[in-house]
Amino acid sequence: MKLRSIIENGLLRFFLICSVISLSGCWDRNEVNDLALITAAGFDMVSDEKIELSVLVFIPKGGGSSDQAMESGNGGASQTLVRSAEGKTVADAMAKLQEKLPRKIFWGHTDVFILDEELAKKGIAGHVDFIMRHPTLRERGQIFVSSQKAKKVLKLMPPLERDLSEVLKELSQHKLGLNITTKKLAQMLIGDSGDCALPWITILPPENKEKPKQTIAYITGTAIFKKDKMIGIIDDSVTRGVLWLRNEILLGVITIKPPKTDGYISVNVLQAQSKLVPKIQNGKWIITLKSVSASDIVQNTTKLDVSNPVVLKSLEPLLAKEIEKRIKKARNQVQEEMKADIFGFAEAFHRKYPDVWNKKKNRWNEIYPNVELKFDTKCHIRRQGLTS
Amino acid sequence: MLEQGKISPVQMALLMIPAIIATVLLLVPSITAKHAHHDLWLSPIWACGTGFFVVFLSYKLNKLFPEKTIIEYSEHALGKILGKLVGGIFLFFYFHATGIMVREYGEFVSGAALFHTPMAVIIGTMVLVCSFAVLGGLEVMGRASEIIVPVVILLYILLFILLIKDLEVKNLFPIMEKGIRPSLMGSIVPQSWYSEFILVSFLLPYVTNQKKGFKWGLIAVFIVLFLMVLTNIMALLLFGNLTSSLTYPVMVAARYISIADFLEHLESIVMAIWIAGTFIKITVFYYVLALGTAQWLKLSDYRPIVLPIGFLILLQGLWAARDLQELSHFLATSGAIYILSIQVVLPFILLLCASIRKKLGQRKGNKQNETPVNH
Repeated sequence: MKLRSIIENGLLRFFLICSVISLSGCWDRNEVNDLALITAAGFDMVSDEKIELSVLVFIPKGGGSSDQAMESGNGGASQTLVRSAEGKTVADAMAKLQEKLPRKIFWGHTDVFILDEELAKKGIAGHVDFIMRHPTLRERGQIFVSSQKAKKVLKLMPPLERDLSEVLKELSQHKLGLNITTKKLAQMLIGDSGDCALPWITILPPENKEKPKQTIAYITGTAIFKKDKMIGIIDDSVTRGVLWLRNEILLGVITIKPPKTDGYISVNVLQAQSKLVPKIQNGKWIITLKSVSASDIVQNTTKLDVSNPVVLKSLEPLLAKEIEKRIKKARNQVQEEMKADIFGFAEAFHRKYPDVWNKKKNRWNEIYPNVELKFDTKCHIRRQGLTS
Repeated sequence: MLEQGKISPVQMALLMIPAIIATVLLLVPSITAKHAHHDLWLSPIWACGTGFFVVFLSYKLNKLFPEKTIIEYSEHALGKILGKLVGGIFLFFYFHATGIMVREYGEFVSGAALFHTPMAVIIGTMVLVCSFAVLGGLEVMGRASEIIVPVVILLYILLFILLIKDLEVKNLFPIMEKGIRPSLMGSIVPQSWYSEFILVSFLLPYVTNQKKGFKWGLIAVFIVLFLMVLTNIMALLLFGNLTSSLTYPVMVAARYISIADFLEHLESIVMAIWIAGTFIKITVFYYVLALGTAQWLKLSDYRPIVLPIGFLILLQGLWAARDLQELSHFLATSGAIYILSIQVVLPFILLLCASIRKKLGQRKGNKQNETPVNH
C-alpha cells in the first residue's frame, strides 16, 4: 500500500515536471519584441491590377538615455518607419510586405487607413472587406482619402505628434470634418442607398522649405462616394453643412453680419443636435431638418449692445439663416450635383415609411435628387462672453 | 443514488444560466439577424415560451418520479426496452451536443486569438479542466458557479454600459417592418437554446427543495431572456444592418469600445466571459452525460467513466463539423429541429405516458384496494 502511494506520488511529480516543457510556450506566443506594431496603413493604386500597401511601423525606443540622444541629434531621428509592397489585393501585398519586415506584422494598433484618390475612384468595397474580415484589425480604425499618394503622406514627420497616425486621429476627433470609422463605413456601404463619404486629406505645405517632410496632412474636405466609387470632393466649409445634416456637428464658429451696422458677430456653437424628419405628401418626398443648437458670443465687432436681451433675440434668426445657408450649400453640391445620398435620407424614409420604401426602393436614384429639404432651425444664444 | 451531494435551488439556477447563455452570446445575434433583420431583439422574447414550458415539464416529471433523473424514469414511464432506447437517445444527444459545444469553444478561441494552436490542444485542455470539475461532483460545480457566474454577468453588463455612447437608438426602427413573421422565424434558433433547460430534470433530484427549484428554474429563464435581449439589442443598436454579416458581433462590439482614448482593447473581457461561461456550460453537459451513462448502465459510481467520456467528447468535438461555417449552418437549420425534438418533444411524450400510466395504475389500485403501484 505504501509502495503504491510512493509510486503514485512519483508519477504525479513526474507529470507535473513534464508539463513545464509544454507550458513554457505555445503555438501562438507573441513576444512584443517580435512584433512590428503598425499604426497606420496606406493603400495606393499602382496599376489597374496592382495596389501598393504601405505601413507605418512604430519603432519602440528604450529608456531615458536614448531620448536625450534623440533630442541632441537635431530632432530628426524618427520613431517610425515606412515599408511598402505591391500585390493584387491588400492581403496579397501584406504577405509580400512580411518578407521585408524582420518582425511579425501586428495590426491590433492600426488606427488610421489612408486610401489614395485613384483607388477611391475605382471602388473601395474590396479593401474594406479586408479591414472588416481580418481578425486582429479593429473596427474603430479611421479611414481617409488622400489627394497625394498614401505612401507619401505616411512618410511625413509631424513636428508635434509622435507620428502621422496620431495626427490624423486627433484631427478627426475635433469633428470639424467627417469622422468615419471602419464600422461606420461598412454600415454606409450596406445601407439603403449604399452611398458613402470619407474625410479628404491633403498635405499642409511645410513652413520650412528645407525640411519638406516636417509637416502634417490635414482634413480639408470630404470625398463623396456613389456606391463605393468616389465621384467628387466638397471643401471644408461645405462639409460643415454635411455635418449638420448627419448630426455630427461638435464645434464650430459661425460669423453673422447684422443688418444696419458695420462689423460682424461671431458665435461659438457649443451644443447642436439635428434630426431628419421625413414626410411623403401627395407623392412628394420631403425631409425636414430639425435642429437645436446653443451657442455663445465670442466676438463682437459691431456697435450693438449684446447684453440687451432684445438685441440678442434679434440675432437668433440671423444665426439660423446662416446655418441654413451652409446646409443648403452642402445639399446643392451633394444632392443635386453629385446625386449621392450621404445624409441618410434613404434610411430616414425607410424607417418612417417601410411599406412605401419597399415598393419604391428600386427607384431611389430617381427620387433622391428631387427630395425637398425644409428647415426647422432653433438657435439659442446663451451667453455673451465675459465682457459686455 | 449515484450522486451523494445536494445543491441549493439558487446554485441550480446559477448552473443553468451559463449552461444556456455562454454560447448564445457569440453565435445567436448573427444567426437570428439572418432571419429577423431589424427585429432580432424580439426573437428571444417569442422564443422564451419554450424555456418556461421545458422547466415546467421537468418539474412535473420530477413530481411524478422524485429523486430520479430522466434516464431512470424513462424506463418507468415507457417500459424496459423503450425506456432504455429513449435513455440511449438522450445520452447520444448529449454526447453530440457536448461535442458541438466544445467545438464552438475551440472555433472561437482559434478563430479570434490562437490561430496556430491545434484544435485538439484547445479543446483537450478545456475538456480536461471540465473533467476535474465533474469528478468533484455536483456540489463542487454548484459552488464554482456561485463564484464564476455573478462575475461573468457583471462583466457582461459592464461591456454594455461602456458601449452606451456608441449606440444609436434609431437603428431599432422600423419595428416589425415585414410583420411578425421574420422575428418568429428568427426565434426558432433561440428556442433550441431555451430547450436546453431540460437539463433541470437531471439536476432537480439533487436540489434541496424541489418547489423552490422550480421557482428558481423560472427565474433562470427570465435572466437568460434578459441577457439574450440585451445581447441582441446591443448588437442591433451598434451595428444595425451589419449584424448579420459579422461572425461574432459581441466580440467586435467589445473591440469597438473606446473611452477617453485609454479604455480600449477590451476584447479580452469577452474572452474571459466566454471561457468562464463555457467552462460551466461544458461541465454541466459533461456531468449530465457521465451521470446519465452510469445510470443507464446501472453502474455503482459514475466517476470511473468520467475520463473515458471526456476523451470521447474530445473526439466528438473534432469530428462534429469540418469548419465554423458548417457548424453554424447546422445550428441555424436542421440543428434547431433536431435539438427541439429531443429536448422538448421527447420529454413531453414521457410526461404524457407517465401520467397515463399513473392514472391507470391508480384506477387499478382502487379497484383491487391495494396501495398504489410502487415503481
